[in-house]
Amino acid sequence: MRQNAVRGHLDGLLLAVLETGPLHGYAVITAVQQRSNGMLELRTGTIYPALNRLERLGFLRSTWEADGERRRRRYELTDAGRHTLAAERTAWREFTTAIGSVLNPAARPGLAS
Amino acid sequence: MIADDPRPSPGGGAPTALDTPRDPVEDHLAALGAALHGPPAAKARLLEELRGGLQDSVAAYVQAGVDRDLAAELAVRDCGAVDDLLPSCQHELTIAQVRQTARATATATPLLFGAWYLLHTTAPSGAWHLTHTAHLLATRLTTFTALAALLAFAVIALTGTLARWIPTPSRLPRTVAWTSTVVTASMAVCTLVLATTMPLTDHWPLTTLATLLTAASHAVTAGPARASRLCARLPVPALRP
Repeated sequence: MRQNAVRGHLDGLLLAVLETGPLHGYAVITAVQQRSNGMLELRTGTIYPALNRLERLGFLRSTWEADGERRRRRYELTDAGRHTLAAERTAWREFTTAIGSVLNPAARPGLAS
Repeated sequence: MIADDPRPSPGGGAPTALDTPRDPVEDHLAALGAALHGPPAAKARLLEELRGGLQDSVAAYVQAGVDRDLAAELAVRDCGAVDDLLPSCQHELTIAQVRQTARATATATPLLFGAWYLLHTTAPSGAWHLTHTAHLLATRLTTFTALAALLAFAVIALTGTLARWIPTPSRLPRTVAWTSTVVTASMAVCTLVLATTMPLTDHWPLTTLATLLTAASHAVTAGPARASRLCARLPVPALRP
């Protein structure tokens, strides 16, 4: 599951973990891993081009920050990113509801009685 | 770093380059860097971020009690093989190159217009004229460059915020690469035309200034156009926004 599971949902996952505050790339990876109880693992190599793309689209903004001898690029959500995250959540809710209705027809509100 | 801790050579002498242990992280980044093409600043930023991520990953493994050499190998494994990373990394660099080339074209166009403005407006009426053929050629090239500038602005918008709603055309890198190449060639032709007609004009200082402006336009666009052609030739999967 792990890596294949995030295909198609990477943007939403990245925006979601950045909703609580700015993070650098590796912290984004660990945040996704922790929130999913280790079920989802993002490759280090795929995260940075994706963050760059989201920044280009205006969903994120980033700044370099000194961290000892190193410097890290920290990403934070923009207003456009928040709107997109809300849209991603709505789309995901609708999708899971639709799939759930098919997989568990007995659970549909109209069929409960 | 592993490379900072060279093991003694088998013969007991000073360690040589062959004896120096390889750093899997740096080897991985070097391999990826060699395969990627794009604006140097964008490429350096991407590789620096990847290096940071790999170093964080190594540190996390070491903190969990894994030997440093093995930690570096595991971090590289977690990062993904070069062939797997190449499409997404190159895609972003190709887009970055497209945008840089578009900006260069948009920047150079005012220089070219400035040159022709100087020649046609600033010069006293009747005091200066180009030969008919040169004038016709230059006018056509300037018109084409103006259209290219419009395309450049459209490209910057299409690959930026507009990409949220409009998918980036898959042929955009190739279109930008060849348009900018033609613009660059046009500017070279303009420079040549002005330079050769310079002796025929009455106001050579103005012509010299105009020639320098067109030469500067050519210099601004030539590098990005060449880099764009290289990126456009690379096999990259269908463009995402």
